[in-house]
Amino acid sequence: MASMLEFRTPGFNPYAVKYSPYYDSRLAVAASANYGLVGNGRLFCLGLSAQGVVVEKAFDTNDALYDLAWSEINENQLVVATGDGSIKLFDLAVPDFPVMNFHEHNREVFSVAWNPVSKDNFLSSSWDGTVKLWSPTRTASLLTLPIGCCTYSVAFSPSNPSLLSAASSDSHIRLFDLRIPPSANYHLAATIPVHAPAPHPTRLGQATYAGAVPAEILTHDWNKYADTVVAAGGVDGAIRTFDVRSPVGGPLAVLAGHEYAVRRLAWSPHARDILVSASYDMTVRVWTDGSTMPVPGAGPGGQGTISTGAQLGLMNRHTEFATGVDWCLFGAGGWVASVGWDERVLLWDAHTLLRG
Amino acid sequence: MGALDRLSALGNQISGSPGGAGGRAKILEKHADDIVVTAALRTAICRGGKGQFKDTAAADLMAGALKGIIDRSGINPALVEDICVGTVLAPGGGATEMRAASLVAGFPDTAAVRTLNRQCSSGLQACVDVANQIRAGMIEVGIGAGVESMSTQYGPQAVTEFSELLESHPEAANCKVPMGKLSEDMAKARGVTRASQDAFAASSFAKASKAQAAGLFKDEILPLKVKWEDPKSGETKEIVVDRDDGVREGVTAESLGKIRAAFAKDGSIHAGNASQVSDGAAAVLLMKRSTAERLGQTILGKFVAASIVGVAPLLMGVGPWKAIPKVFELTGLTKEDVDIFEINEAFASQCLWCANELGIPQEKINPKGGAIAFGHPLGCTGARQVSTLLYELKRRGEKIGVTSMCVGTGMGMAAVWVAE
Repeated sequence: MASMLEFRTPGFNPYAVKYSPYYDSRLAVAASANYGLVGNGRLFCLGLSAQGVVVEKAFDTNDALYDLAWSEINENQLVVATGDGSIKLFDLAVPDFPVMNFHEHNREVFSVAWNPVSKDNFLSSSWDGTVKLWSPTRTASLLTLPIGCCTYSVAFSPSNPSLLSAASSDSHIRLFDLRIPPSANYHLAATIPVHAPAPHPTRLGQATYAGAVPAEILTHDWNKYADTVVAAGGVDGAIRTFDVRSPVGGPLAVLAGHEYAVRRLAWSPHARDILVSASYDMTVRVWTDGSTMPVPGAGPGGQGTISTGAQLGLMNRHTEFATGVDWCLFGAGGWVASVGWDERVLLWDAHTLLRG
Repeated sequence: MGALDRLSALGNQISGSPGGAGGRAKILEKHADDIVVTAALRTAICRGGKGQFKDTAAADLMAGALKGIIDRSGINPALVEDICVGTVLAPGGGATEMRAASLVAGFPDTAAVRTLNRQCSSGLQACVDVANQIRAGMIEVGIGAGVESMSTQYGPQAVTEFSELLESHPEAANCKVPMGKLSEDMAKARGVTRASQDAFAASSFAKASKAQAAGLFKDEILPLKVKWEDPKSGETKEIVVDRDDGVREGVTAESLGKIRAAFAKDGSIHAGNASQVSDGAAAVLLMKRSTAERLGQTILGKFVAASIVGVAPLLMGVGPWKAIPKVFELTGLTKEDVDIFEINEAFASQCLWCANELGIPQEKINPKGGAIAFGHPLGCTGARQVSTLLYELKRRGEKIGVTSMCVGTGMGMAAVWVAE
């Protein structure tokens, strides 16, 4: 692995990294002092220059930062998820302080996600058991969706501005469709029990899923090409993909390999079957979910079995928990940024793993 | 937002232990479909044959408790769809008079009523059944209750003669061995000494009289006005009963040590270290959290899960020892997660043995005393424990409690409750 760029975040342990959707040379890192247990947070906005990775801007917060999301309508703005329950909107042109503060959650905010389609709202999820929808221009939330338990991860569908999903510690992914009338179910469209057995044959074949011990889900993401496929990872170390059209049909693929919890995963913006995951086992792994591979022993079309996918590569340069990972949207397609509690941001080309 | 919470959450993510997907944290979460208690109360518990309820029928006690539920919760009685009353000794299961009692209490004829009998756990079984009916969507609002008038209905007629067929089967025949005799045998076989039983019983009396003096039963007891015949003058007067009259002060292990054993010459069980024969009623109003919030009901706590187990008829006293681990299995809890255990003191011997065997520290068991001190009206006890437990958890600022009891003919039952 020849070409790897490195940046250090001394005194702060990163929790999340995101590439700018506007510039191929800009990324941001949400980091926290003392592993996010107690103390301040710092948001780093980094630029790639001839001198390597440099800090373009840094913002300090009073409590830990656990996630960030770039604005889709303003290239200079981004929101962070804070340990004190607030969400802060920073503008790179405005030094030191956030331009907006959204404070409704009663406990730690663990994830934020900007709507990639309508671009005019964003989501947050919290330990207080709720997901909230916000407008960047209003301090009060537009909508509160009850989950009932700690929700580590929230995401928008990449193709539908009204469809969103939340992954929580009760081993479920909940899908909300904001077009459904706000009945007693608060827009809840479907619930995917991630670890539950699938008693009926999935799809056309005979395969069933025996299920697994329920465990907390820490991260999930929507496939950027197959817009009904969601991948989820969590405490049990396995990554599972689901088709949201068949919420109780069991997983499409189960990718095993991580030895500890999967903290973050992201589907490739460049290929329909590729995803990358960061884990407490200190590794970052690149996977194919098997959807483009012929399935041995299966009938025409390869239907009827649960894919085990394949691990395409393993990046083991982090020396502490790997907590964040993201794909660069630009370039040849394969640049990945990963962060870990070793106070490092590593930028590397996933292609080098595939070849090696 | 404490660092310790964050650390323990991280620890659970790494160890994979069920911190989020089960266990204490999971139990303490609030969900819209939780089955919650919005009112729980009991009448005073009074000594069978001599106490202040000696001239009050079981149905009258129940009517009083049910009316208390309406008054305290402020619920519209028309919203209550089913009432289940646990009662053991009533002829015909008490079905007719409990239906009548609900009408007296102020429930419209649209509220259905039934009775059930799982002996000493009837009151708990009634609450669990109603909770499960709500969980299954059969009803929205229900009442689990229990009642017993041992003054008026206790006696040999409570058990039907065994047929030849039953008598011919040794284990089946064991089902009618009297409680006292089998508990005596069990105490002997399991090596529970008279001294340890007396000490346990004395501490039950001490805890109960201390709690009574401190007014700790005030929240759970519903004062009831009843007719009572003065045995000395023979005159009948109206009295208000608002305290357990079986609780005695100054009972010590030494004073109990002087009482003659009741069931065997060399025995260890006597009137002072077994549950008292009593009268009383208790009721618990249950519904989903979403319903409670919609109706503006105050939530006292929630029902989490219950277990039922069978044991050998001759070892019926070990019921809690088997039922409590089973409810832990259902909920992912451990005994360290539980703040208070309300284990019915049918006999000091069996309660003590179960607690020791499970390794439950004495200070977590029956902090306000138990059936030895204030009595065990059979059908009432299981429902009575709910109010005793929830109010005590709340007073101490604690959260998780377990109620459990042994059941005649060899069963055990346990349930997990959370105070909010």
